[in-house]
Amino acid sequence: MAAVAAGSGTPREEEGSSGEAAAPQPQASTSAPGPRLSRLPLARVKALVKADPDVTLAGQEAIFILARAAELFVETIAKDAYCCAQQGKRKTLQRRDLDNAIEAVDEFAFLEGTLD
Amino acid sequence: MAERPEDLNLPNAVITRIIKEALPDGVNISKEARSAISRAASVFVLYATSCANNFAMKGKRKTLNASDVLSAMEEMEFQRFITPLKEALEAYRREQKGKKEASEQKKKDKDKKTDSEEQDKSRDEDNDEDEERLEEEEQNEDEEVDN
Repeated sequence: MAAVAAGSGTPREEEGSSGEAAAPQPQASTSAPGPRLSRLPLARVKALVKADPDVTLAGQEAIFILARAAELFVETIAKDAYCCAQQGKRKTLQRRDLDNAIEAVDEFAFLEGTLD
Repeated sequence: MAERPEDLNLPNAVITRIIKEALPDGVNISKEARSAISRAASVFVLYATSCANNFAMKGKRKTLNASDVLSAMEEMEFQRFITPLKEALEAYRREQKGKKEASEQKKKDKDKKTDSEEQDKSRDEDNDEDEERLEEEEQNEDEEVDN
Protein backbone atom coordinates (compact mmCIF):
# COMPACT_ATOMS: atom_id res chain seq x y z
CA MET A 1 0.00 0.00 0.00
CA ALA A 2 1.74 3.10 1.14
CA ALA A 3 5.12 1.42 1.49
CA VAL A 4 6.54 3.64 -1.19
CA ALA A 5 4.44 6.70 -0.65
CA ALA A 6 4.78 7.09 3.10
CA GLY A 7 8.21 8.39 3.89
CA SER A 8 7.79 7.76 7.62
CA GLY A 9 9.29 4.57 8.93
CA THR A 10 6.26 3.42 10.93
CA PRO A 11 5.03 0.13 9.45
CA ARG A 12 1.30 0.48 9.37
CA GLU A 13 0.62 -3.20 8.97
CA GLU A 14 1.44 -3.75 12.63
CA GLU A 15 -1.40 -1.60 13.83
CA GLY A 16 -4.62 -3.55 13.58
CA SER A 17 -6.65 -0.78 15.16
CA SER A 18 -6.42 1.78 12.38
CA GLY A 19 -9.29 1.13 10.03
CA GLU A 20 -7.70 2.50 6.88
CA ALA A 21 -4.78 0.11 6.99
CA ALA A 22 -7.06 -2.93 7.05
CA ALA A 23 -7.01 -3.43 3.28
CA PRO A 24 -3.54 -4.10 1.87
CA GLN A 25 -4.15 -2.02 -1.24
CA PRO A 26 -6.74 0.70 -1.16
CA GLN A 27 -7.62 0.47 -4.82
CA ALA A 28 -10.40 2.94 -4.53
CA SER A 29 -10.80 3.61 -8.22
CA THR A 30 -13.93 5.66 -7.66
CA SER A 31 -12.94 9.00 -6.20
CA ALA A 32 -9.93 8.91 -3.85
CA PRO A 33 -6.44 8.45 -5.33
CA GLY A 34 -4.66 5.16 -4.63
CA PRO A 35 -1.79 6.10 -2.31
CA ARG A 36 -2.74 8.59 0.38
CA LEU A 37 0.01 11.13 -0.07
CA SER A 38 -1.03 13.58 2.60
CA ARG A 39 -3.48 13.31 5.44
CA LEU A 40 -3.98 16.97 6.10
CA PRO A 41 -6.65 18.54 3.92
CA LEU A 42 -4.96 20.75 1.35
CA ALA A 43 -7.79 23.27 1.54
CA ARG A 44 -7.00 24.07 5.18
CA VAL A 45 -3.30 24.36 4.48
CA LYS A 46 -4.12 26.67 1.60
CA ALA A 47 -6.22 28.82 3.95
CA LEU A 48 -3.21 29.18 6.25
CA VAL A 49 -0.95 30.12 3.35
CA LYS A 50 -3.41 32.73 2.15
CA ALA A 51 -3.55 34.22 5.64
CA ASP A 52 -0.10 35.64 4.98
CA PRO A 53 -0.64 39.12 3.53
CA ASP A 54 2.67 39.00 1.64
CA VAL A 55 1.78 35.89 -0.29
CA THR A 56 0.23 36.48 -3.68
CA LEU A 57 -0.19 32.98 -5.05
CA ALA A 58 0.88 29.50 -4.12
CA GLY A 59 1.16 26.60 -6.52
CA GLN A 60 -0.56 23.31 -5.85
CA GLU A 61 2.75 21.54 -5.35
CA ALA A 62 3.82 24.10 -2.77
CA ILE A 63 0.59 23.56 -0.80
CA PHE A 64 1.06 19.83 -0.96
CA ILE A 65 4.64 19.98 0.30
CA LEU A 66 3.63 22.31 3.10
CA ALA A 67 0.94 19.85 4.15
CA ARG A 68 3.40 16.99 4.12
CA ALA A 69 6.00 19.06 5.97
CA ALA A 70 3.42 19.91 8.62
CA GLU A 71 2.74 16.21 9.08
CA LEU A 72 6.45 15.48 9.46
CA PHE A 73 6.64 18.35 11.92
CA VAL A 74 3.81 16.92 14.04
CA GLU A 75 5.50 13.51 14.08
CA THR A 76 8.83 15.05 15.02
CA ILE A 77 7.59 17.25 17.82
CA ALA A 78 5.42 14.47 19.22
CA LYS A 79 8.39 12.12 19.37
CA ASP A 80 10.64 14.75 20.93
CA ALA A 81 8.00 15.58 23.52
CA TYR A 82 7.60 11.90 24.24
CA CYS A 83 11.27 11.61 25.16
CA CYS A 84 10.59 14.06 27.98
CA ALA A 85 7.54 12.11 29.14
CA GLN A 86 9.49 8.89 29.09
CA GLN A 87 12.09 10.37 31.40
CA GLY A 88 9.28 11.13 33.82
CA LYS A 89 8.12 7.51 33.41
CA ARG A 90 4.74 8.71 32.24
CA LYS A 91 2.69 7.27 29.44
CA THR A 92 0.66 10.33 28.74
CA LEU A 93 2.11 13.28 26.92
CA GLN A 94 1.45 16.48 28.81
CA ARG A 95 1.63 20.10 27.78
CA ARG A 96 4.81 20.59 29.78
CA ASP A 97 6.53 17.86 27.76
CA LEU A 98 5.86 19.92 24.71
CA ASP A 99 7.18 23.08 26.33
CA ASN A 100 10.34 21.24 27.34
CA ALA A 101 10.86 19.98 23.83
CA ILE A 102 10.43 23.46 22.42
CA GLU A 103 13.02 24.83 24.80
CA ALA A 104 15.44 21.99 24.25
CA VAL A 105 15.36 21.72 20.48
CA ASP A 106 16.80 24.61 18.48
CA GLU A 107 14.61 24.04 15.45
CA PHE A 108 11.52 24.61 17.60
CA ALA A 109 12.66 28.02 18.76
CA PHE A 110 10.22 29.71 16.41
CA LEU A 111 7.39 28.30 18.50
CA GLU A 112 8.38 30.08 21.67
CA GLY A 113 5.65 32.41 22.79
CA THR A 114 3.22 31.35 20.10
CA LEU A 115 1.37 28.60 21.89
CA ASP A 116 0.13 30.56 24.89
CA MET B 1 -11.38 38.62 20.18
CA ALA B 2 -9.63 39.23 16.88
CA GLU B 3 -9.12 36.23 14.64
CA ARG B 4 -5.44 35.46 14.55
CA PRO B 5 -3.94 33.33 11.82
CA GLU B 6 -3.01 30.80 14.50
CA ASP B 7 -6.71 30.16 14.97
CA LEU B 8 -6.82 28.52 11.58
CA ASN B 9 -6.42 25.06 12.96
CA LEU B 10 -5.86 21.84 11.17
CA PRO B 11 -8.43 19.12 11.84
CA ASN B 12 -8.01 17.66 15.32
CA ALA B 13 -8.77 14.11 14.26
CA VAL B 14 -5.98 14.10 11.69
CA ILE B 15 -3.49 15.66 14.09
CA THR B 16 -4.36 13.08 16.74
CA ARG B 17 -3.93 10.26 14.27
CA ILE B 18 -0.54 11.49 13.14
CA ILE B 19 0.61 11.83 16.76
CA LYS B 20 -0.64 8.39 17.72
CA GLU B 21 1.08 6.75 14.78
CA ALA B 22 4.33 8.53 15.59
CA LEU B 23 4.33 7.30 19.17
CA PRO B 24 4.57 3.75 20.49
CA ASP B 25 1.41 1.84 21.33
CA GLY B 26 -0.13 2.56 24.68
CA VAL B 27 1.10 6.13 24.82
CA ASN B 28 -1.60 8.72 25.29
CA ILE B 29 -1.70 12.42 24.84
CA SER B 30 -3.50 14.96 26.93
CA LYS B 31 -6.02 17.29 25.36
CA GLU B 32 -3.90 20.34 26.12
CA ALA B 33 -0.81 18.80 24.58
CA ARG B 34 -2.71 17.78 21.48
CA SER B 35 -4.22 21.18 20.92
CA ALA B 36 -0.83 22.77 21.52
CA ILE B 37 0.71 20.52 18.87
CA SER B 38 -2.10 21.41 16.52
CA ARG B 39 -1.45 25.12 17.02
CA ALA B 40 2.28 24.51 16.64
CA ALA B 41 1.60 22.86 13.29
CA SER B 42 -0.35 25.91 12.14
CA VAL B 43 2.44 28.21 13.27
CA PHE B 44 4.87 25.96 11.43
CA VAL B 45 2.93 26.32 8.19
CA LEU B 46 2.73 30.09 8.59
CA TYR B 47 6.44 30.38 9.32
CA ALA B 48 7.36 28.07 6.45
CA THR B 49 5.09 30.03 4.13
CA SER B 50 6.75 33.27 5.10
CA CYS B 51 10.22 31.80 4.54
CA ALA B 52 9.21 30.27 1.24
CA ASN B 53 7.72 33.56 0.15
CA ASN B 54 11.06 35.25 0.71
CA PHE B 55 12.68 32.82 -1.69
CA ALA B 56 9.95 33.39 -4.25
CA MET B 57 10.43 37.15 -4.02
CA LYS B 58 14.18 36.72 -4.40
CA GLY B 59 13.46 34.86 -7.61
CA LYS B 60 11.09 37.68 -8.62
CA ARG B 61 8.19 35.29 -8.73
CA LYS B 62 4.74 35.88 -7.38
CA THR B 63 3.78 32.26 -7.04
CA LEU B 64 5.19 30.02 -4.33
CA ASN B 65 6.48 26.81 -5.78
CA ALA B 66 7.76 23.54 -4.39
CA SER B 67 11.42 24.50 -4.44
CA ASP B 68 10.66 27.64 -2.45
CA VAL B 69 9.18 25.48 0.28
CA LEU B 70 12.16 23.11 0.22
CA SER B 71 14.52 26.06 0.50
CA ALA B 72 12.44 27.29 3.43
CA MET B 73 12.87 23.93 5.17
CA GLU B 74 16.60 24.27 4.89
CA GLU B 75 16.47 27.84 6.16
CA MET B 76 14.40 26.73 9.14
CA GLU B 77 16.96 24.02 9.91
CA PHE B 78 14.58 21.19 9.08
CA GLN B 79 16.96 19.58 6.63
CA ARG B 80 15.87 16.14 7.75
CA PHE B 81 12.51 16.81 6.13
CA ILE B 82 13.96 17.57 2.74
CA THR B 83 14.56 14.02 1.50
CA PRO B 84 11.13 12.64 2.50
CA LEU B 85 9.52 15.75 1.09
CA LYS B 86 11.29 15.31 -2.25
CA GLU B 87 10.10 11.72 -2.42
CA ALA B 88 6.56 12.76 -1.60
CA LEU B 89 6.74 15.46 -4.26
CA GLU B 90 7.82 12.96 -6.92
CA ALA B 91 4.98 10.65 -6.00
CA TYR B 92 2.56 13.56 -6.07
CA ARG B 93 3.80 14.67 -9.49
CA ARG B 94 3.42 11.17 -10.88
CA GLU B 95 -0.11 11.03 -9.54
CA GLN B 96 -0.99 14.40 -11.00
CA LYS B 97 0.50 13.41 -14.34
CA GLY B 98 -1.55 10.24 -14.35
CA LYS B 99 -4.71 12.15 -13.61
CA LYS B 100 -3.96 14.73 -16.27
CA GLU B 101 -3.25 12.10 -18.90
CA ALA B 102 -6.41 10.24 -18.01
CA SER B 103 -8.56 13.31 -18.44
CA GLU B 104 -6.73 14.37 -21.62
CA GLN B 105 -7.18 10.91 -23.06
CA LYS B 106 -10.88 11.06 -22.33
CA LYS B 107 -11.07 14.42 -24.02
CA LYS B 108 -9.19 13.19 -27.08
CA ASP B 109 -11.33 10.11 -27.36
CA LYS B 110 -14.34 12.35 -27.26
CA ASP B 111 -12.94 14.57 -30.01
CA LYS B 112 -11.95 11.60 -32.15
CA LYS B 113 -15.45 10.26 -31.87
CA THR B 114 -17.05 13.45 -33.09
CA ASP B 115 -14.43 13.78 -35.85
CA SER B 116 -14.97 10.27 -37.14
CA GLU B 117 -18.72 10.82 -37.26
CA GLU B 118 -18.21 13.80 -39.51
CA GLN B 119 -15.74 11.95 -41.73
CA ASP B 120 -18.15 9.14 -42.46
CA LYS B 121 -20.27 11.65 -44.28
CA SER B 122 -17.29 12.85 -46.41
CA ARG B 123 -15.25 11.04 -49.11
CA ASP B 124 -13.10 7.95 -48.50
CA GLU B 125 -9.86 9.61 -49.60
CA ASP B 126 -10.19 12.11 -46.83
CA ASN B 127 -10.58 9.25 -44.39
CA ASP B 128 -7.21 7.75 -45.33
CA GLU B 129 -5.45 11.06 -44.86
CA ASP B 130 -7.10 11.57 -41.52
CA GLU B 131 -6.08 8.12 -40.40
CA GLU B 132 -2.47 8.89 -41.13
CA ARG B 133 -2.78 12.08 -39.19
CA LEU B 134 -4.28 10.22 -36.25
CA GLU B 135 -1.38 7.80 -36.23
CA GLU B 136 1.06 10.66 -36.12
CA GLU B 137 -0.81 12.17 -33.24
CA GLU B 138 -0.62 8.92 -31.35
CA GLN B 139 3.12 8.77 -31.88
CA ASN B 140 3.43 12.26 -30.56
CA GLU B 141 1.46 11.30 -27.47
CA ASP B 142 3.83 8.43 -26.85
CA GLU B 143 6.77 10.76 -26.98
CA GLU B 144 5.17 13.01 -24.42
CA VAL B 145 4.53 10.11 -22.12
CA ASP B 146 8.16 9.02 -22.29
CA ASN B 147 9.21 12.50 -21.32
